[in-house]
Amino acid sequence: MKLLTTGVSHKTAPVEVRECLAFREETLAAALRDLKSREGVTEAVILSTCNRVEITVTTEDDCDAQAVVDAFLTEQKAVSPEGIAPHLYRHEGRDAIHHLFRVSASLDSMVVGEPQILGQIKTAYTAAKNCGALCGWLEGLYTRAFNVAKRVRSETGVGQMAVSVSYAAVELARKIFGSLNNRTIMIVGAGKMSELAARHLRRSGASHVFVTNRTHERATEMAQLFQGTPVEYTRFLSMLPEVDIVITSSGAPHYILHKDEMQRVIAVRRNKPMFLIDIAVPRNIEPAVNEIDNIFLYDIDDLQEVVNANLRERMKEAEHAEALVAEEVERTMARMKVAEVAPVIVGLQEQLEQIRAAELDKVRRRYGPFTPQQEEAMEALTHGIVNKIAHGPITVLRHQAGQPDGSQAIAAIRKAFHLQD
Amino acid sequence: MSVIWLRVAAAFYSLGLLHAILMLVRRREHLFQVALGAFGIGAVFHFVSIVEEGIRGNHCPITNFYETLSMCAFLVVVLYLFIHWRYRLESLSIFIFPMVFVMSLVATLGNPVAAWSSPVVRSVWLIVHIVLVLLGIAALLLSAVGSVVYLFQERELKTKKPRKFYYRLPALGTLDDLISKSMALGFVLMTLAVVAGSTWAFIEHKTAWIGQPQIAMSFFTWGIYLAMVCLRVTAGWRGRKAAIMTVTVLGFSALTWAAHARLGAMLLKP
Repeated sequence: MKLLTTGVSHKTAPVEVRECLAFREETLAAALRDLKSREGVTEAVILSTCNRVEITVTTEDDCDAQAVVDAFLTEQKAVSPEGIAPHLYRHEGRDAIHHLFRVSASLDSMVVGEPQILGQIKTAYTAAKNCGALCGWLEGLYTRAFNVAKRVRSETGVGQMAVSVSYAAVELARKIFGSLNNRTIMIVGAGKMSELAARHLRRSGASHVFVTNRTHERATEMAQLFQGTPVEYTRFLSMLPEVDIVITSSGAPHYILHKDEMQRVIAVRRNKPMFLIDIAVPRNIEPAVNEIDNIFLYDIDDLQEVVNANLRERMKEAEHAEALVAEEVERTMARMKVAEVAPVIVGLQEQLEQIRAAELDKVRRRYGPFTPQQEEAMEALTHGIVNKIAHGPITVLRHQAGQPDGSQAIAAIRKAFHLQD
Repeated sequence: MSVIWLRVAAAFYSLGLLHAILMLVRRREHLFQVALGAFGIGAVFHFVSIVEEGIRGNHCPITNFYETLSMCAFLVVVLYLFIHWRYRLESLSIFIFPMVFVMSLVATLGNPVAAWSSPVVRSVWLIVHIVLVLLGIAALLLSAVGSVVYLFQERELKTKKPRKFYYRLPALGTLDDLISKSMALGFVLMTLAVVAGSTWAFIEHKTAWIGQPQIAMSFFTWGIYLAMVCLRVTAGWRGRKAAIMTVTVLGFSALTWAAHARLGAMLLKP
């Protein structure tokens, strides 16, 4: 059996090439059936996302997998082999397994650690399974890849740190409050950006949203989005002691929250922490507010700085993840090799057992019947002989399973014991 | 006879202590009305005891330490009841109730009682006191460590440049919860230890116990612990102030421990 992955990704091909090769959801099933029906192909999966198109096949040993996939691509996509060749990458056997594990674990993604890719691979897996293109060894390999991805996510921090500004705000809120349950949010100035941040916060458990805006209608509109409460712009300052998170994005040309006001607010709150997110430019909150104890003020640049730090941290975590993937590839290879020789060992044992049973019968017919003690002694003797004979070849088989030229030795043993394929 | 009324009053005040403890541990205030009622009834008995003491001695009962303490506690009670009637300051009860209880408890210890009924009771009592103190110090230590970690994480969040600490340390909210809980638990244990320790010392040393410096030290430490807990609950002291305060209380606890170093020897004494 051969395993081959052929594909293009954001690293090897520009979007013009990727879009030529992409498979739309409606045509995917037909393409998979076509690929599976080609000579020598036993299983096939097609992964098509905006950042990569990959075709993974298993074929019989004597099949030229590369030629089959190339022919499939040129026929399906009307592209010249020469045109796409410089952008294609091909991974065979062990490399293909390594590649699949890395992609599933989101180590090959544009934003390392982003979680969508695993979902996309799962969709590709389901599509292949539904049209019968996945029904054996490759299916097991994909299941293994999902487990590897899960392990990487849980054992390394590669997917943990926020890499977008609005998620960074949610993450900071979690670092300040622990849990966001029962936290209240005040949005000052109804803009797209503050809406996005509030949406993330609300989804993470924040309980209530107040919205205030100079034009009250706009505040009412936005409050409806979150089942929140609109607040008169003139009253919002007096409401501040009741809210934990404030997001400002009003178009005011000057500061709308000052240090002395916030000092009073925090005193009324009895020093319960507050998180102020100022995503307005020019800024809405006086920077000196951050000097007040228990108030944490972040403007848009601060949030970007957190995102950058998170990206650096993700890259560090990715190194751990790579080691983990390499370990999983080793484990899978070892398992595969054992699985390869297992039928030979079973065949050999069955063969010897048959000979033993037949020879015993012969002896019984000629010299029997025997007493129970004699039967027992004969059983023990023949078992002993057969086990001793089998021990040598079985040890060689197990040992050779891991070796590069092991297949020759395995073939020799098959031949010597007249074992069928 | 007056000491019996004072003891009854102290028993009523102990409900106030229970309220304060429940409020610290559970953060609920459902026992407040009961405790306030008990506080009022206690005040009546307290008043009776003071009047009786005055009639018996035919003078205003502020002639010795215990009488003065009892009088002082009574005045605090009256003042608190007035403030509560006028301003409804429930949160102050966390501070006042335990303080009044301990003051009146100490005041009842002015009359010597019979010696230990058996040496076993004496040493078990002392062991209970020591174990309670050690558990209290352990909880306080946890809260001090939590406070220091809080300071680190707070600084990370304030400087806005996430470094190693930011990623590795828990959230401020989580730490705050840990600090509050361990501080409340420590306070409960320390209060019980103070009650156990002062009654032990009273029976051991009769009326002379109050003059000993290590005992004054213990009460002082307990007092600032009480003040810290109160400031945290009512004013919400967090971060730097709270950390400094927790470490200070821990330091005083260590000093008090050192002052009591002789206790071990007392345990060995038959």
